[in-house]
Amino acid sequence: MDFILQQFINGVTVGGIYALIALGYTMVYGVLKLINFAHGDLCILGAFIGLTTLTSGIFGGLSTPVLLILAFLIAMIVIAVAGTLLDQFAYKPLRKAPRLSAVVSALGASMLIQNGIMLIWSPNVQVFPNDLLPNITWQIGGAYLSFVQLLIIAGAFALMAGLYFFVHHTRVGTAIRATAIDQDAARLMGVNVNRVIAMVFIIGPVLGAVGGLFIGLYYRQTYFTMGWSYGLSAFIAAIIGGIGNIPGAMLGGLLLGLFNAFAAGYVSSSWQDAITFALLIAILLVRPTGLLGERVAEKV
Amino acid sequence: MDKHINPSTRAPSGTARVLRLAGPALWALGLLIPQLLSPAWITIGGIFAIYSIVALSQDIVLGRAGMYDMGHAVFFGIGAYTCAILSLFYNWPVLWTIPVAILLAAALGAILSAPIVKLRGDYLLVVTIGFNAIFVLAMQNNLFGLTGGADGLFGVSGPTLFGHMFGTQSDLFYLDWIVLAIVLWLMRNLDRSSLGRTFRYLKHDELAATTLGVNARNYKVAAFALSAGLAGLAGTLFAMQLSAVSPGSFRFTDSVVLFAIVLVGGQASVPGVLLGTAMMFVVPQIFTEFAQYRYLAFGVAMILVMILRPQGIWPARKGVI
Repeated sequence: MDFILQQFINGVTVGGIYALIALGYTMVYGVLKLINFAHGDLCILGAFIGLTTLTSGIFGGLSTPVLLILAFLIAMIVIAVAGTLLDQFAYKPLRKAPRLSAVVSALGASMLIQNGIMLIWSPNVQVFPNDLLPNITWQIGGAYLSFVQLLIIAGAFALMAGLYFFVHHTRVGTAIRATAIDQDAARLMGVNVNRVIAMVFIIGPVLGAVGGLFIGLYYRQTYFTMGWSYGLSAFIAAIIGGIGNIPGAMLGGLLLGLFNAFAAGYVSSSWQDAITFALLIAILLVRPTGLLGERVAEKV
Repeated sequence: MDKHINPSTRAPSGTARVLRLAGPALWALGLLIPQLLSPAWITIGGIFAIYSIVALSQDIVLGRAGMYDMGHAVFFGIGAYTCAILSLFYNWPVLWTIPVAILLAAALGAILSAPIVKLRGDYLLVVTIGFNAIFVLAMQNNLFGLTGGADGLFGVSGPTLFGHMFGTQSDLFYLDWIVLAIVLWLMRNLDRSSLGRTFRYLKHDELAATTLGVNARNYKVAAFALSAGLAGLAGTLFAMQLSAVSPGSFRFTDSVVLFAIVLVGGQASVPGVLLGTAMMFVVPQIFTEFAQYRYLAFGVAMILVMILRPQGIWPARKGVI
């Protein structure tokens, strides 16, 4: 029982991170029908920016909580700018091109960011200092909940709730959903589709930067290829939930996090990726458009 | 796509006629590499031929049949591992492992693709990424105690043919180059066959093809099997050339590079795919002192090519269906 509770806490923590990153994939896919392969690398770039803010000593006089908030803010802003640049330079010229051209451009952007990180921060693992967060652990039943886990769970759920409210109860959010359903119809109804796309390339990276920094704080390390592995997991989460569907990405992220935690607990962790993909393949064969995805015919 | 011109009645254009001669001429010129260039370039030439075969096989699924396969390194890897395992553990003559590797890779292609070819484009892409991840993990975790784990297997020798042992790098170069010629000839025949036409038809209009009685699923599985078999053939050459196989050569990243080669070069275009392969594998050898910027430059090049030429550098001729 204790073991189950412990894996549940671990699973929700990682699942919350997956969900934050998955939202970026699903929103871009919703409006552009593009797999933004560079998104995972953007998120990890957020972790590097945050780490540099924390350790560079430029803000040496500040207390740790203020410094931490500052690190999140700077990471969010820099990654939002990077996301916008990515869209402007790599994707915008390809809006009318065949779909696979944009996919290759996204793969190229991913290589570019990944190797840019490697050249700037070196190919070695970068370690987060261990005195950043209070070293508190609560005991719930027989399981343990650490401060960083509580921070991640609270942060992820607050952001998801905020995004859910934004998407369902504001005009801009409605425009995003309308564009995801049918871009041409949305344009005819007066939605400024270009602004919606620009919006999506700010919201997604901002959430992703938080997710990336959470990864760094949770595992206390970051390295340049991390974007591939976490990006791929988050992308799988988005597909499991039904890609293009915003609540679906949240659900898929949490489910995948829990599934990974229990799989790592009960089966060997060296097969973890294989188990994740096996789950994905099984779900796609039963529900080809994901758990919350609508069954729609492919546009001809 | 210009569908009104019947290609069989159209006279070949001037460039097409030049190309028909330029291709074989370039191939024959390539045969001089071992005489003229340094040993390093002999190996590069051999590797280029091998990756050209894999890229051409990827193009069958991706460019001709229009299925987003981003796990093609699996079939390349199956060929390489089959060759290594049979020759090292079971003492098979290397030459005999080649047909087995081709058949095994083709069978795996058919078995893996059968349940998934119905999936929509992007979902197929993700599932094939999954196959690749599972394959690499299986090799790393030393499946059945045969794959050598993360280090892989060492000591694959060249084949013995007509009493001649293909041992040196230039021997292997000639072997790779000849196999490449055979594969190019097969691709030419595929494009002119009803099978090749059916692949193209399925890519451009699956609904119309189905209404004309094409069994889409069977043909898609056939495209995967054919493509996987060729990749398996390239895999055996790869194992001989490097005399070693390891999971590191068949990662998801390698599949991404193959995928990019086809798109950057030009889908369903043989010269395009060869050009793409040269860009990815030969050009970096010229700039070895900038090795650390290699993938950075790849990234920029992929974005730029797609923006400037969304159909690839050397797209297939129009009106060919």
